Amino acid sequence: MTVYYDELFGLCGFQDKEIEKEKVRIEKVFEKIDIGPDDMDRTVKRVNEQFDIQLLGVRKLLRAWLLELLDLSLAKEEKKKVVYYGYPSIQGPGMAIKAAGGEGLYVGCPDAILCHTVGMIFDKLTPMLEAGENGGLPPGHGLCSLQQIRSGALALGIIPVPDLVTGSSYYCDMGSKADELLHEIYGHPSIYIDGSMDSKWGEFPSCDPERIKFLGQQINKLFDKVKEHIGVEVNGSSLKKAIQISRELFSELGQLTYLMMADPMPISGVASGMAINLAAASTGRSMTEGPDAVKTLCGEVRERVNKGLGIVEKGAPRVLNFAQHFSDPGITHMMEDAGLAVAASFVTVPPGKRDPSLTLNNISEELAEAGLRAGVYHSTYGFAKRFVDAVRELKIDGVLWGYQYNCRPIALGSHLFKQFIEEETGVPVLSLEIDLYESRSYGVETLRTKVETFAEILKAKKATETQGN
Amino acid sequence: MEAIDQLSVHLEKRPDNLIKAKKEGQKIVGYLPGGFLPEELVLAAGAVPVCLLRGGDSSMVQLSSQYICRWIDTFYRCQIGLGMSGKDPYYNILDLMVSPITDNHARALSDVLSYNTDLDIFSFGVPHMKEPATRDYYLHGITGLKNKLEALTDNRITDDKLREAIRLCNRERELLRKISLLRKSEQVPISCADFVALNHGSYLADKTFMVNLLESVYDDLQAPTVETLKGPRILLTGSTLAIGDSLVLDIIEETGGMIVIEEFAEGIRPYWEDVKSEGDPMEALADCYFMDRICPAWFRPGTERLDFLIKLVNDFNVDGVIWYQLMFRESYKTESYYFPDRLKRETGLRMLLLESDYNPSEAGPMSTCAETFIQTIGER
Repeated sequence: MTVYYDELFGLCGFQDKEIEKEKVRIEKVFEKIDIGPDDMDRTVKRVNEQFDIQLLGVRKLLRAWLLELLDLSLAKEEKKKVVYYGYPSIQGPGMAIKAAGGEGLYVGCPDAILCHTVGMIFDKLTPMLEAGENGGLPPGHGLCSLQQIRSGALALGIIPVPDLVTGSSYYCDMGSKADELLHEIYGHPSIYIDGSMDSKWGEFPSCDPERIKFLGQQINKLFDKVKEHIGVEVNGSSLKKAIQISRELFSELGQLTYLMMADPMPISGVASGMAINLAAASTGRSMTEGPDAVKTLCGEVRERVNKGLGIVEKGAPRVLNFAQHFSDPGITHMMEDAGLAVAASFVTVPPGKRDPSLTLNNISEELAEAGLRAGVYHSTYGFAKRFVDAVRELKIDGVLWGYQYNCRPIALGSHLFKQFIEEETGVPVLSLEIDLYESRSYGVETLRTKVETFAEILKAKKATETQGN
Repeated sequence: MEAIDQLSVHLEKRPDNLIKAKKEGQKIVGYLPGGFLPEELVLAAGAVPVCLLRGGDSSMVQLSSQYICRWIDTFYRCQIGLGMSGKDPYYNILDLMVSPITDNHARALSDVLSYNTDLDIFSFGVPHMKEPATRDYYLHGITGLKNKLEALTDNRITDDKLREAIRLCNRERELLRKISLLRKSEQVPISCADFVALNHGSYLADKTFMVNLLESVYDDLQAPTVETLKGPRILLTGSTLAIGDSLVLDIIEETGGMIVIEEFAEGIRPYWEDVKSEGDPMEALADCYFMDRICPAWFRPGTERLDFLIKLVNDFNVDGVIWYQLMFRESYKTESYYFPDRLKRETGLRMLLLESDYNPSEAGPMSTCAETFIQTIGER
């Protein structure tokens, strides 16, 4: 039987039988989000315009995200225990909890999932944002839009009240404080993983071993509390299982990020961003659907690279963009339309290897050490140094430092990163104030002038350098 | 008050006196407010602690925009402006700046100054929860600071020297506490402006001078002839009350309110607890400065502070609460949403939220809000 969302789900990689199978779930979730027949023409048009749906890998990624949305929204109705974690967070603990808890447990980052689905696909985040703003996270105060989305989605009943939340108290004050706010409203327990970003400027990747010990101890505390609150025991073997499960996905993602470096850039950053963020936001569909989707995409991208096909001109300036937009693909397209190969993101170049002389006492300390070595959670210097390393390794022509204005650990580098990267590498940096999670205030048109001017500067610089050679 | 005049004169001469002390070989150690730096360590090392607590200056906030975006807490942007201006008498004479990393706003200042100046900055972490492991981490941080101070001054911080400094600082805390508690009475003998001036002064003045001054103030305030104040009794709370950020105090006073107690994470020296004199002094410092003190809103959860506010409301027989919020300090902003309900439920009182970005144009609207609030609670 034909339903009004057949075309959309077809575009998003679903087979007819699967749409039929998921019908009840889809309609329940659509009702919660207030998506109906009137939204379909607009949404189908958006998907056709904003996503490279000729690529099966892209369709599979859209499918994985949509299934994750259904799983998230219906988790409680489907009798699952629900654990939310904050974004960003050290990779590992969420996956380990999921690996230990199995099918009866939903573990994910709801706000990032809502951005990539309700925002990216349906462009319907505004009611959630407004509900979040009315629920204690008002506009105009630089409060995190991810937290507004989570808060609003809870208030509107789009996502279930969790059994447990955990957040990165080591990195972000806002996430933990918003967890506290939601605890006041809904009463669910919050487990804060504490830490301190107290390394001095210039110290990276090393750090005081006490930092690793402390963060490792806090990760252990999380696992103890998970057992206490939801009866799921996370131990060394579930952590190892999580690493094994995620290895395939991360291996494919590694290939994809390097394929993006081809000249001309083979696909839009929108697709690669969707792939990378699936691994960060989901512990369910990222593991069941993710590896195949990314593998398929890699195959298609490789084919394009071999044929010399791309979505920007060959020789276009190669740009490192801090992160692709979570909910508005138009912003990444605008950068690409300006003639920039927005090929690399912050995570394209993996962090360096662990110092072999370090003694780590348990797997939590290993997670802590790996997290700190990634730079973002280490220090502002560590974060900036990762950019410098990436610029050098990938032969980047320019950096789009799109700093999340309402995320303090990022915003505090608004000017510093530009100064530091330019001084260290000589590569031009555009410090661009942005909201990566929603685009009401920082939309395509407000950013266009700056990005287009920057693109012209990079093109002129590249042309001069080419002539000089 | 005569003591306030004496303090003003002392503070006016303080930068010159510090320059003189520096020439004579003493080290000047600046630190960020928040109450997480044990001044005892600096004193025991023979150095001079100086709190970097100037605020309320919109020109410095404006200057900071050359170094950081506006989404950082107003006070810390002001500090960035002061640190970068080359005009601040204290930043200019520092041998060391100590930056207890409490939240990302403090980290922003530390990072910007580290990158853009030659200041020697020592950071140590202040965790956000009170647990044995977090206390150990804090203790590890102040132990690192102790080593740094010993290297800077070439003086060993012995237990005896540390205990002596603890005694002096405990006396200062005790006196501030006693003076503050006088305001529990119906007959309030000291204005908030004067109490804040004393508290602020304690962050900059010579420690012995300050203790002697507080002794005389306490004695004077107990005299039966002292003039007492009137007006609806206000609890003023918030993240930061800096030296020079007097607009909110002036407005509340001018509109007829009487602040009888203040609770701030930064800018009001914590005086409710003393450092224990027995046992290992470093452990005692960690207990007092980290575990025992009332936590700021950037602790998780912030319940302890909100419980304490309710206690203060009851103990000081408060008529209304004014929450003074600096822009973009997200921990405080978030709590300001749900605390009024709790306040109303548990005490029947109302709360007024005033926000500032150190912009002089705020005076008009702030005054109107305060006047209306004070009039309303005055009719209670």
